[in-house]
Amino acid sequence: MSNRSNYGGWLQGKTVRKGAANSSHANTRSSTPHVQSTSSTIFGGGIKDPSGRVTEYFSMEDQCPVCKSDRYLNPKLRLLVSSCYHKMCESCIDRLFTLGPAPCPICTKVLRKLAFQPQTFEDLEVEKEVAIRRRLAKEFNKRRDDFDDLREYNDYLQEVEDIAFNLINNIDVQETEAKIANYKAANAALIALNMQREEAYALALKEQEEFDRREREARAAQLAQEEEQERLEREREQNELITKLETSQKDAKKLVAKARASQQKRKSARNDNSSLLGGMGFGADYAKLLKARTNKAKTSVPDEPHVPLQDDWYGYEDFYALRPSYDDIFSEAVRKDREGIMRAGGYMVEEAWNRALRSAVAGLELEPLVGLPSEESSAPMIDAGGDVVMASVQSAA
Amino acid sequence: MPETTAPPATKKPLYEASTQFKHWRYSPESLINIRSKLNEAAVAVIRQTFEAYEPGSSANVSFLNADEEHLLVTFYVTRITQLCGHFRFPEEVEATAATYLKRFYLKNTVMDWHPKNVMLTALFLATKTTNNPISLEAYTHNIPNTNPSDVLDLEFLVAQSLGFEFSVWHAHRALWGIWLDIQSLSDVPADYAKSQSSVYDTALSHVRASRLTDAEFIYTPSQIALAAFSLAAPDVAQQWLESKQAVTEAPTKIPPGILESIEALKKLIADAGQPETEAVREVDRRLRLCKNPEKVVGSKAYLARKAEEEKKAEDKRNRKAMEVEKAAAEGTDPFGDELERPKPSLVDYDDDDDD
Repeated sequence: MSNRSNYGGWLQGKTVRKGAANSSHANTRSSTPHVQSTSSTIFGGGIKDPSGRVTEYFSMEDQCPVCKSDRYLNPKLRLLVSSCYHKMCESCIDRLFTLGPAPCPICTKVLRKLAFQPQTFEDLEVEKEVAIRRRLAKEFNKRRDDFDDLREYNDYLQEVEDIAFNLINNIDVQETEAKIANYKAANAALIALNMQREEAYALALKEQEEFDRREREARAAQLAQEEEQERLEREREQNELITKLETSQKDAKKLVAKARASQQKRKSARNDNSSLLGGMGFGADYAKLLKARTNKAKTSVPDEPHVPLQDDWYGYEDFYALRPSYDDIFSEAVRKDREGIMRAGGYMVEEAWNRALRSAVAGLELEPLVGLPSEESSAPMIDAGGDVVMASVQSAA
Repeated sequence: MPETTAPPATKKPLYEASTQFKHWRYSPESLINIRSKLNEAAVAVIRQTFEAYEPGSSANVSFLNADEEHLLVTFYVTRITQLCGHFRFPEEVEATAATYLKRFYLKNTVMDWHPKNVMLTALFLATKTTNNPISLEAYTHNIPNTNPSDVLDLEFLVAQSLGFEFSVWHAHRALWGIWLDIQSLSDVPADYAKSQSSVYDTALSHVRASRLTDAEFIYTPSQIALAAFSLAAPDVAQQWLESKQAVTEAPTKIPPGILESIEALKKLIADAGQPETEAVREVDRRLRLCKNPEKVVGSKAYLARKAEEEKKAEDKRNRKAMEVEKAAAEGTDPFGDELERPKPSLVDYDDDDDD
């Protein structure tokens, strides 16, 4: 587990771990010496690999945009990224910024030596976005439980996304920074609390992993011990059998059979024992953890079923109860159709029964109309041409 | 389903959503009234037409009365049954076509449109609306002396007369429902459906007989089915009705007075019979003489009517052409004046030039 990181997988194609041979880049790597920068200790930022080292982008085409020296001229060339996201080689940085803050030779923003970071991604836009998002994630760490409803939480996420977008694309940077500062001031307590929670969760996860690992080891040790014991026993038995065959007057076949039987018995007993252990052991606790987590997810978001059709018609459900099956000669052919050819279109005999039953009770209570209707709208009308036409047609014309 | 009982009082029964309940439910008196008024109006118009072309010719024509018209329609309902037997159409088609035909003649008169033709159209329409389609060629090919145009010419008229309300609640489906539901009755033996299948056949024949009456305009399909079933097996029908009347907490309660309707319906169905062929023949013979001359292809009145219609259409076309010409002369666009464009604002956002 320990050599698998959360982010290592998708970075490995592009990056080279400093100080570690990487087989996928063998052709470029083997020709260049491993560079251990003297100043690596003071640079923050960058993505760290699981061993704590910063993974760094590296290519043979590297060239310092300031002094134009490249890897061919200087095999030890190492490019660092400024806070305005421009690349420079270490010698240029030393030359320009050793005497204190100075303007960037590309964009003239005032920079300090300490603010240079190793490059992780080939595309500096990505570098910038990741840095900004990492920074925002530290402060905007509210969780779903901190909000009363999902809507508010979504609004919050939207806002965070807006801020990130603004910072990445340099839109209203000042206002956005002010917004972040406001937020930080307003939510200082909550941020701290969530940070603690995050840490606690990470710790718990680590502990769980550690626990699992120890359990696995213990189990492996136990298995090894058992095997050893088994081997010893078998040897002892073998010896016993041999000495018996040497000394005893009994039939050799019988003795061998007896020994076999006792061996079999012990084996099955051991199997029972181990299966009992296996069921209890590794994985049970992990499953419990997963279960607890899904339970938590279930309680937080109520999942109400969506009812697509809602009308206020009453379908006479009180008057009949559909039985699971009827003695019905008319649907016999459909029900006996094994291959389902007759039901291929979605015909369900239950639906047909339901419709028939509903139709049997629908309007049973209606008493017939009596007398003439008060208004004469139902009387036929005759148009000028002598054709009898409907009221609806006339009104539409 | 039972756990959704006691729906709010605002829920309306489903049957009352149907067009059958809303537009095709009459009292016996109003049915008589509609038919007699329709007949009077039609006779007046046709008499006028006769007089217009040949003065004095209407004096010795004996027009049909409302009952005779109804007799003819009923006769053609029986012809629908024969045709459906010939085509092996399902019960649904037959019942729907019969309903269409009867509804059509609540809005139109036999003297304008002969039921022989309307019946064919109604049946063809019913095959389509009940999802049992048949091609027009196959349909007319199997009926002697019929062309596709005979069926299609009337199709829109029939659909219009029906108010484009094609969906019909049928009594035979309700009868099937009752037949299924009596298996839930505790007093009925378990193998009733199997051993007494003749009861169902008898009840179905009563439902078919009810199609020759006005029952479907007055009563609901479930009542017709219950009456038909009651004629076949009175005891079981009584038990079934009582079990339904025992349901009291439902939004709709079956009133005790419904028994009277059922009894009246039973009498109506029992009295129903096929019209006598002789009487029908006599009516048809007279109809040939008193048909609306404007509807008889080839007659003087028909030609005159056609010419008049054509003249009207011609006039309309001319008038339209004149209007267009006039508008063109005045210089106005037939599509109206040009719309006033919004004044350009300070910054023209539609400007694509990058200057």
